[in-house]
Amino acid sequence: MTMAPNRIDYYSVLGVLRDASQEEIKHAYYEAAQRLHPDKNQTAGETELFLEVQRAYEVLANPKRRAQYDATLPKEETPPSFIKYKVEYSRPNLVHLNEPQLIYVLLEISPREANEKLPAPPLNLCLVLDRSTSMQGPKMDIVKAAASQLVQILRPQDVFSVVAFSDRAEVIIPAAFQADRVKLQSRIQMMQNYGATEIYQGLEAGLREVRRNLDPKRVSHLILLTDGHTYGDEQACFQLADEAARQKIGISGLGIGDGWNDIFLDALTSRTGNNSAYISKPQDIKKLLMDKFNAITNTLAEDILLEFKMQEGIDLNYAFRMQPEGGPVALESSMHLGPILQDTPLIAIFEFLVQPSASEAARVKLLDGSLKATIAARPTPVPPLRVQFEQNVSDTPGDSPPPPSIIRALSHLTLYRMQERAREEAQAGHYENATRHLQNLAQHLLSQGEKDLARTALLEANNLERKQALSQNGGKEIKYGTRALVLSTVEASK
Amino acid sequence: MIVCPNCKHTNMTGAMFCSECGAQLVGTDMFTTQNIATGQMHEAVKQSFPSSKPAAPVSLNTWVTLQLMDTGQMLPLSDRNEFTLGRISEGQPIMPDMDLSPYQAYASGVSRLHAVIKRMGDRVLLMDLGSANGTFVNGKRLNPNVEQTLNNGDIIALGKLKMQVLLKTS
Repeated sequence: MTMAPNRIDYYSVLGVLRDASQEEIKHAYYEAAQRLHPDKNQTAGETELFLEVQRAYEVLANPKRRAQYDATLPKEETPPSFIKYKVEYSRPNLVHLNEPQLIYVLLEISPREANEKLPAPPLNLCLVLDRSTSMQGPKMDIVKAAASQLVQILRPQDVFSVVAFSDRAEVIIPAAFQADRVKLQSRIQMMQNYGATEIYQGLEAGLREVRRNLDPKRVSHLILLTDGHTYGDEQACFQLADEAARQKIGISGLGIGDGWNDIFLDALTSRTGNNSAYISKPQDIKKLLMDKFNAITNTLAEDILLEFKMQEGIDLNYAFRMQPEGGPVALESSMHLGPILQDTPLIAIFEFLVQPSASEAARVKLLDGSLKATIAARPTPVPPLRVQFEQNVSDTPGDSPPPPSIIRALSHLTLYRMQERAREEAQAGHYENATRHLQNLAQHLLSQGEKDLARTALLEANNLERKQALSQNGGKEIKYGTRALVLSTVEASK
Repeated sequence: MIVCPNCKHTNMTGAMFCSECGAQLVGTDMFTTQNIATGQMHEAVKQSFPSSKPAAPVSLNTWVTLQLMDTGQMLPLSDRNEFTLGRISEGQPIMPDMDLSPYQAYASGVSRLHAVIKRMGDRVLLMDLGSANGTFVNGKRLNPNVEQTLNNGDIIALGKLKMQVLLKTS
């Protein structure tokens, strides 16, 4: 069967649900108009899409015309979406309580048809490589070798570019279809090291290359490889990332060695629904870059956007993507949950806090919103999918135990969050608390058979006690080590 | 609220793992590997809602319970067939399965890895692990690394920490 409805209705064009308010329609129109305005975009087909958006808005913004239009639509609430979702709750119901309570929700998003196979979309990929002096030596040699290897596996339909940066950026390979691989490789080999790390420079130049070929039929992605801290330009980088997210450009980060700022790189990449990875040994650069490349070529949906309104008396405390590419999800009213890969559904877990005021009702809505998918193989607008997390409230807690999937997920996520807390406490100067958290963490790691990670955690607890600081690499090893554990929970349960 | 049986931290209703020490607060039956160094892991989880059915303090497969002579507290052992007894000390990577530090273990002269209690068929055995202050059964000091069969009602002592052995009689 075909997934797309025969006729794209105006609601899908704007990416809103059938019962959207006038306010939401207006907002969606402004957002789409900004993105698609003919002054800004030259991609084939976008001008037509822009006119379609105009037409849709003219009808839907006028309540009378909207009602007339609605009457012509088929009965079902929303046209079939490309994706479907499954929800599991940590508790069978909430309880009426005069104190706050927690509930966890596990969300799995997959293609609606289980065996749906879409052709792997062509890429529009830019490698942004740190060439600052600290990269000099084996690190840079391996980066060059890895980039050359990537050139080998590019497909004829892929657009590819390379930008090198330090305190200024240089386009090593301009974005284009790349036929002459030998030439590309020699350009990569000739890169020299100089200067300091200024990520903004590289990011800006890299995004410019990607934008040359913005095309909804391609997966647009930028991979940033760095070993250093960037200073003073963090906010500007975040703005670039937000703009990239609006244009459906993904940004992933690979950090090499001890010196880079993982918190910054996570914050940057999570804005586009992606993550950062830690490369402790230069030998691993190649493998991680290839893994990343393979993930991008296997993209089914680039970025699932969860748009929702906060409910009265409900706080969303925490959100974490467990797969693919585990990582924290930035808490915004429009959350970038991340990609769906071929054969790898998106799984995320949420922690909600229910205030006493909200638990007075008989049924509580934790979240009400919609899921929007960007699918390169289906450039026509995909209708949004309504998503609701709802739970009954009774006088007694339910009997049934929490689903094993949630226990498994949280048993490892708890470790990741302990690590997060330890680092936050250390940052705030609460060394005793931080030390205690790390010792507790070590104990749990040991009991789960993670001896190496447990040892690292204990060493860092020692470092904290004696030097009142974590070591650069220890902190990262624990963070990315515990994050990998979260990912492994999902894989193990398959 | 849920009070963590391990560290006494107060967690919100609905929490599944202690936000302070990471101990699992619900559904422990499914994960025996989580039973580490948690002196009172099996103590009833206190929940604030009155109508909740009280968590059984002793799980069905408890094979021995140690009752502290001083305070009368019960330490039921279950799920695993072997528990090392001792106390956790800060910064030391030695983790006994059963941490006795909440029960004045240090003051009583309990070593970090003091003794091991295990189940072999119908028998329950105790073995000293070369502790500094010795392991005693009914006042008689055990030779290190030699197993001693325990009987219901025996009084064992790790250093000066005395406990009565309550075997499951079925």
